[in-house]
Amino acid sequence: MTNETQGAQTADPLDLRNLIETMPTLALCALPDGSVEFVNRGWQEYTGCSLQQLSGWIWQTTIHPDDVAKFIDEWTVALAGGKPFQTEARIRRADRQYHWFLIRKALAVPRNQGSDSSWRTLITCEDINDRKEAQAKLQQSEAQLRAFLENSPNLIFLKDRLQGRYLYANKEFKRALRITEEQVEGKKDEELFSAQQAAVFQANDRLVIEAGVPMEFEEAALQPDGEHTSIVQKFPLLNAEGEIYAIGGIVTDITGRKQEESARRYSDERHRLVVETAPDAVVSVDESGVIQLANPATTRVFGYEPAELIGKPLTMLMPEFIRKVHEAGFSRYLATGQRHINWQGTELTGLRKNGQEFPVEVSFGELIKDGHRIFTGFIRDISERKLAEDKLRASERSLRELTETIPQMLWSAGTDGAIDYCNQRVLDYTGLSAEQVRGAGWMKSVHQDDIEKMTQVWTASVSTGEPFQYEFRCRRTADNAYRWCVSSALPLRDQDGRVIKWFGTVVDLHDRKEAQQALQMTQAELARVSRLTTMGELAASIAHEVNQPLTAVTNNSNACLRLLAAGNLQPEVLRRALEEIVADGNRASAVVARIRGFIKKKPAEKNRLNINDVIQEVLALADREIYENRVRLERQLTRALPLVSADRVQMQQVLLNLILNGIEAMAAVTNRPRSLCMQSRIDDSGDVLVAVRDSGTGLSPEAHRLFTPFFTTKTNGMGMGLSISRSLVESHGGRLWAEPNSPHGAVFCFTLPESGGSVS
Amino acid sequence: MTDAPVVFVVDDDPSVRSSLRFLLSTVGLQVESFDSADAFLRKKPAGVPSCLVLDVRLPGLSGIDIQRELAARNIPIPIIFLTGHGDIPMSVRAMKAGAVEFLTKPFRDQDLLDAIRIALERDRARREQAREVTDLERRFDSLTSREQQVISMLVSGMLNKQIAAQLGTAESTVKVQRSRAMEKMHAESLVDLVRMIEKIKGPSEKAS
Repeated sequence: MTNETQGAQTADPLDLRNLIETMPTLALCALPDGSVEFVNRGWQEYTGCSLQQLSGWIWQTTIHPDDVAKFIDEWTVALAGGKPFQTEARIRRADRQYHWFLIRKALAVPRNQGSDSSWRTLITCEDINDRKEAQAKLQQSEAQLRAFLENSPNLIFLKDRLQGRYLYANKEFKRALRITEEQVEGKKDEELFSAQQAAVFQANDRLVIEAGVPMEFEEAALQPDGEHTSIVQKFPLLNAEGEIYAIGGIVTDITGRKQEESARRYSDERHRLVVETAPDAVVSVDESGVIQLANPATTRVFGYEPAELIGKPLTMLMPEFIRKVHEAGFSRYLATGQRHINWQGTELTGLRKNGQEFPVEVSFGELIKDGHRIFTGFIRDISERKLAEDKLRASERSLRELTETIPQMLWSAGTDGAIDYCNQRVLDYTGLSAEQVRGAGWMKSVHQDDIEKMTQVWTASVSTGEPFQYEFRCRRTADNAYRWCVSSALPLRDQDGRVIKWFGTVVDLHDRKEAQQALQMTQAELARVSRLTTMGELAASIAHEVNQPLTAVTNNSNACLRLLAAGNLQPEVLRRALEEIVADGNRASAVVARIRGFIKKKPAEKNRLNINDVIQEVLALADREIYENRVRLERQLTRALPLVSADRVQMQQVLLNLILNGIEAMAAVTNRPRSLCMQSRIDDSGDVLVAVRDSGTGLSPEAHRLFTPFFTTKTNGMGMGLSISRSLVESHGGRLWAEPNSPHGAVFCFTLPESGGSVS
Repeated sequence: MTDAPVVFVVDDDPSVRSSLRFLLSTVGLQVESFDSADAFLRKKPAGVPSCLVLDVRLPGLSGIDIQRELAARNIPIPIIFLTGHGDIPMSVRAMKAGAVEFLTKPFRDQDLLDAIRIALERDRARREQAREVTDLERRFDSLTSREQQVISMLVSGMLNKQIAAQLGTAESTVKVQRSRAMEKMHAESLVDLVRMIEKIKGPSEKAS
């Protein structure tokens, strides 16, 4: 109702202003044209606007846009016509939230001073937001309730207490009786059912009214499709005074249920079968927590036979620490119906017969049978799953730790070539953040001269799936300098061979690259020294090889002389001997012919040294060959080797020769890894043994000639390497030989006698 | 069983093998040659005096390896090493391990023949000695255990009287057992008997 007191007598603008200011609600004073003269402090505080901002027409901007049009219409009409005014609208609060207000005209005051004789209207605004919200909620819950009632498969109705007229009947009620709403509302039972039935219904209604509590009846009702037997639950509806004003009823038609009883027995049997054969343990308990049923799977899960469990408390399947909690929770549930754990797939701990605790996943169900509540648990042993999960987590964690702690820059990219991960090392090196590196952001750290080509190579790899490798200059944040790095990446493929991800590394090889220059010079120097000593060794080797035919010549000649002295030299024997002598002489001269031009042997400088050091030096020398030929290098060096007395440079030559031979032997290998294994150890006789294993093409049938000078299996080889190497090793008192490697390739071994004393 | 000695030659160079065979044939030596260590090691040990002429550098097992292998198999055949590369450390090792000679190719024929002669003589003596020991052992085994006891005590320097006291018999009994044992051992004197027992027991016991 509008509270209108037009014509109040002593109103003065100042008084009005005071009045407005003292009002506990928001209030304002409006002129007949609809503009606002002033608003009270409440208004200013609520809207967070100053008086100026709220004067005139501007204050209307605080009204919600959806409400403002309607509001202004009503406002203008009411003020101009001096009519009562009341409306609801949302007004914006200082925090920009809108609250519902009831806005109404409280007072109209005439001005009694000066020329301005227009009326002032006092408008009050009452915050009704809570009420509005409650209303909306109520409407919603009403709608829900209605939907619930309307869609219930049960017949639901309300009857007036005094006259027994129907106040409400749900859709199912009407469907069952084939009637429309108009025919139910206001009607009595007599008008819908036979007099006999109506009398029964009304008698039951009276019982409920007298008892004042819900009651259950079995009622028979004749419906258009025949007689139905129903269970009817009737209950009194109380008004605010606690008086019964209506009777409610819920009807459950059990006609169909009776017919279905046989069918249900069949279904029970099937249900039993499911439980019996279920892989999960199924255990039912009554309200006292005593096991009533256990299926055969309990034996597998818990180790108990079903017979051992029936009649025992459920708690025997739980470890001690859960029992108390379970009992408390169970009795609380029975008392209050409040569930404290999720009934679907809760992870708990079970206890096996052998005392072992194990993780289980339990789902519960509850049903009421013969008035008793039966709880059934479906218990699954999830030890393996947990174990697998734990393992997965552990491996994930260790992998993450690995990628973060590995002293190398790592990255990964998607199939589109966009970087999606890099480890901390990359960030530390480049000074970029994880976000900056993502996508193509990493290019920020690439030298501008390298970006184009590198992008080109990377794009090519991404589109073909070929392994990626590129040397580029990368800016290091620590010294703000561009340094040579090499980035390599391999694709990860799925079962169908499609690339699903790229994993890559970045290695700073600036120092190495610089060292390479120096190394190349060293190599040149070594090659020169090597040539000098090689030629010296070559001469020795050749001399050695010449000794073989010379020995034969001498032997044959001496034999002939002996026979001659004994007067027993047959011409046939002599001729054969001379033929051999000529052949061996030719063989010797062929070897000797190659000695020409070779320089004098440089004397070996023998020092006590650790052969492992020499191996490492030579591997550094051969690094480029190993890298360029994509050879996988493995070192199996025995630490505490005895020292050997050897010429370092000569040993370097031997090793370099064997390593380069091994790499060369693997050049044609494409269908298996090219692996070169360097081994050092002490052999059975206490000598130091060095082995160079390759996975190359292996030894040819002519392998026995490998160590013969000028024998070669290479197209551009001189055939001296192994022969010289052998000479060098033998001049140190060792041996050099070849064996087949398993399953592929060859092993070249040499021994050196220990010189006494060992490496600490 | 003919007693003609055999010289085994192991060298991977066919010219050297054939010339050695020819050379050794001129002094009436029988030669069996092999081109590798394996081929030689597969052969059954000879029952006649023999020696081995071995090239140091061979494919597979080296000459030095063969020497070690033969020692491991307890085959005490004398070895003469030939090498194309005069290497002192290796020759020292070979000689220490019992080689008869270490010759550098090409060698003087007489040096080789002398070495072979020494080697064969050494092998013959070893075989002779081995045969004699076997013979003595057989005789010793034919003694009764009491006779063996008496002889052992006798050899250790005890007098008849002492032996009788220790064995708890009469001195006359000891005398009878002693003369019977001497007769069975074909020993002409006590000194002779002591020498025989030493041979049987081996030098190690004598040394202690």
